[in-house]
Amino acid sequence: MNNLSEEERQKILQSSPVGTWALMLIVGGGMVVAWLLMYYGIFLPRGHIG
Amino acid sequence: MHIDKLEKNWAGISLGIAGLFVTVILGSAFFHGIHAPSNVETIDSAKLHLSAEFAEDKLGVQHNANGSVTVRMVAGRYGFYPKELTLPAETEITFRWVSLDVIHGVHMPMTNMSTMIVPGYVAQVSTAFHHAGEYPVLCNEYCGMGHAHMWSNIKVVSKAQWEALNKQGGANHG
Repeated sequence: MNNLSEEERQKILQSSPVGTWALMLIVGGGMVVAWLLMYYGIFLPRGHIG
Repeated sequence: MHIDKLEKNWAGISLGIAGLFVTVILGSAFFHGIHAPSNVETIDSAKLHLSAEFAEDKLGVQHNANGSVTVRMVAGRYGFYPKELTLPAETEITFRWVSLDVIHGVHMPMTNMSTMIVPGYVAQVSTAFHHAGEYPVLCNEYCGMGHAHMWSNIKVVSKAQWEALNKQGGANHG
């Protein structure tokens, strides 16, 4: 980071945070897929209770 | 109050996920009748042995006129009574549980059966078993020193087998 010019530094700071977006989508998507698999793949086939 | 754009996005994704789950659960509840068991019915836990429904000779399986089955069981430190039951698969089964002492829980692994049994109340759960086999019934609410040894066993057989057993009088009590 110390080797970057001021122009490069500003470009990085003002660009879209691709890594953060990727992390958010991986974590969020993984959670949704895991939940749906548990709900439709395990919970409902076992037969609901009431 | 300033909230960073990324924080807003992350909060939006989190709330969206929670909203999706709630929508799926509400859809199941409203369109498919799938909802958590609820039954508010009181009973005197100190007089179960004298009650019309949970006296010792009334426990076990009752075959109803509409083809469904009602199972009455008592939970007490440290066991579920009757200890052994045989039930039919693919049949609507209503479990009615009472506790004769402290709070117990009932959990049947590999099924969705799980409920608390609170002294003074009747816990009622309806379900159906789709697969024949042996199902352990375990206490999942710490109830004392012997909690880990509190269990019973339910054997699920095909409906035809169960009816044959029932005619011989072998399916009601363990």
